[in-house]
Amino acid sequence: MKSKWIRNILRGLSVTSMVFIFQACYGSPQDMKYDMFIEGLVKASATGEPIQGIKVSLTDTDQYEFTDEMGKFSFYTDLSGSYPILFEDTDGGQNGVFMAVDTVLIPENNSVYFEMLLDRP
Amino acid sequence: MFGLFKNRIFRRFKKTEASIHELNYLFWECTTRCNLNCLHCGSDCSKDSSTQDMPLSDFLLALDTIEPKSENLMVVLTGGEPLMRKDIEQCGREIRKHGARWGMVTNGYLYNQDKHNALINAGMGALTISLDGLEINHNWLRNNNNSFARTDSAIALARGSTRLNFDVVTCVNARNIDEIPLIYNYLLSQSVKAWRLFTIVPIGRAANSPDLVLTNQQFKYLLDFISHTRKLKTIDIKFSCEGYVGPYESKVRDTGFFCRAGINIGSVLIDGSISACPNIDRSFVQGNIYTDNFFEVWNTKFQVFRDRKWTKTGRCANCNQYADCQGNGMHNWYGDKANVLVCHNEKINPAG
Ligand code: SF4
Ligand code: SF4
Repeated sequence: MKSKWIRNILRGLSVTSMVFIFQACYGSPQDMKYDMFIEGLVKASATGEPIQGIKVSLTDTDQYEFTDEMGKFSFYTDLSGSYPILFEDTDGGQNGVFMAVDTVLIPENNSVYFEMLLDRP
Repeated sequence: MFGLFKNRIFRRFKKTEASIHELNYLFWECTTRCNLNCLHCGSDCSKDSSTQDMPLSDFLLALDTIEPKSENLMVVLTGGEPLMRKDIEQCGREIRKHGARWGMVTNGYLYNQDKHNALINAGMGALTISLDGLEINHNWLRNNNNSFARTDSAIALARGSTRLNFDVVTCVNARNIDEIPLIYNYLLSQSVKAWRLFTIVPIGRAANSPDLVLTNQQFKYLLDFISHTRKLKTIDIKFSCEGYVGPYESKVRDTGFFCRAGINIGSVLIDGSISACPNIDRSFVQGNIYTDNFFEVWNTKFQVFRDRKWTKTGRCANCNQYADCQGNGMHNWYGDKANVLVCHNEKINPAG
């Protein structure tokens, strides 16, 4: 078995705590953060039909995504205990007219799937 | 005394890392197309490169051979300019789904609000933007009059993201060396938190511009600037991994010099070649994903990267710093292995 003791000593020494973080000259920094995968489906409450073109925004960041023709959306984001999300119809009457919904998502692990029903005015 | 002890431990650590050779950082040269034509480009690619972009599915097959993947395995999309690929978000999303984190190096020209949002949605966790001067010099070096303005807005977007581990990288050369303090002020005014500087190496297109290479005096000035600025703690500034800098080792970086090419850093190049950093001479290629199993090559080849004794030749043969430097970074060697191309330490101590 290969000895890893020297790694462990270095991990313990504060002077060298950066020793495992590196980047090559022509490379980016490493990504050491945890993230979350959020995906879902947006449907019309009256018909159960998927809705295309709904803007799904994380209101505490500048991240957003639009639902596709199947009403689906998905994105990665920072790991957090809760996510304020806004569902908005921003394309006018193009895919029907729906009222906005503001909600807070509380995930249980680091990926989450949920469905949102939107009402017509 | 403590410094000596630290050096010994660090040498031992490097040896252990070479024997464990955990793959943590994988470059994917996903395109060689580029929208700029930089005078100092190390990759020597062109706007209308005749080489096709590598299909995402081919890269994913190679990525899937890595089993188990290290916890923080990072795929770094590089080029050419990665944003030239229309499917760049899909590439990132699939890489993340296949169990790796990902980041990118860009010239920022095509990086706008929509692109930024789409890349973060696709799981991008790290980004490097190249900035090589204030407006006149950056545009001159990048051969494009709009380049600075575009890079400036890209920086504004990236530094505002809580998700990204973001830094700016500057290729320091004889043309922009006097401007380094001004670039520093600019980055502070833009609230950029991390800045990495590297120097021009006479490889790729830069080999045709020897007048861009720093003089010894300019090189020392750069290291003094970095060392001084680190003490101010206004920005996380560091000298890149590119070379061993003797007396400046503890002053310009967080850790001592360690070229991790082939030890923790691998690459899949545009033609499927398996190597380490993309700026390394292509004669060091270890295999090809179209004929070999990537991870098998990683595990069973790469000896030339992991045992550097062969670098004790030419000017390194009798060097009293060899134990800490081991022949400098791998990108400073040509395939003939006759002599190191650049000795950074010699630039600091010309007589030493
Ligand atoms: S001569 Fe070789 S080993 Fe010595 S400092 Fe220069 S590059 Fe490193
Ligand atoms: S080959 Fe060069 S860029 Fe790559 S890790 Fe070594 S010194 Fe850094």
